[in-house]
Amino acid sequence: MELHVERDVVFPAEPDEVWEALTDPERLEEWFATEVELDARPGGEGIFRWGDGEERRAVVREAEPEERLVLDWDDGGEVVLELEEVDGGTRVHVTETSPQFAAALELHALAWAQPRYAGTRYRSFA
Amino acid sequence: MGTAKVRRYQVPVFRVTEARGESLVPGTGQQEVELVFDALGDPGRRALVASVAERGTATATELASELPVTRQAVAKQLGALADAGLLRATRVGRETRYAVTPQPLGDAAEWLVEMGGRWDDRLAALGRSLARARAAR
Repeated sequence: MELHVERDVVFPAEPDEVWEALTDPERLEEWFATEVELDARPGGEGIFRWGDGEERRAVVREAEPEERLVLDWDDGGEVVLELEEVDGGTRVHVTETSPQFAAALELHALAWAQPRYAGTRYRSFA
Repeated sequence: MGTAKVRRYQVPVFRVTEARGESLVPGTGQQEVELVFDALGDPGRRALVASVAERGTATATELASELPVTRQAVAKQLGALADAGLLRATRVGRETRYAVTPQPLGDAAEWLVEMGGRWDDRLAALGRSLARARAAR
């Protein structure tokens, strides 16, 4: 089972400005992750680190300048960023697809059968 | 009222389906998932859920004492979180005491909520980054 999160936002900026913010590691550090290494070309690798110690690695599957960027996460998920020039700016359409949940189902069921301290599940939201 | 620190989570039983937009948890419709999305769409409310979870149970007065906001503002947010099923409200005298609802959503739906919240935060930050870059030109 895969899940999708989609967002659609229009920014008052030209597609080239948005593309730079989506692909330049220094710009990505302003909005996507705390530390970013990215070679934004097909086959290029990306490493993203966050302040809480989380690290995600990805490979660039598609990079059509000012149009479309697709990253494959190493956990099986993917993120697609599509740009479209519209009145007043650039529309950014994000689709993040989850890794497969089915394989992990039994393990999670076992983990959840154990008593847990309140709060464990929610700390990641803070 | 005792503060139970350890709670038992129910074993989730959700249907494995390829269909998009289907209910992910028995008895949990898309509408409820959306309510949870709304409730957790705000970083302040997400932090409140975490604070309640850390304390086990909490009242608006207790939470407001350590935040730079009024008790009324906290009470309103707690009410919204309870409406979404994320907190359980218990009336104790004149106060309402809140606890985190164990496992209101399955693992998969939790991914949806967390990733949705992350993208909301990121896109807001992207907007600020674009505005700064434009101003610097």
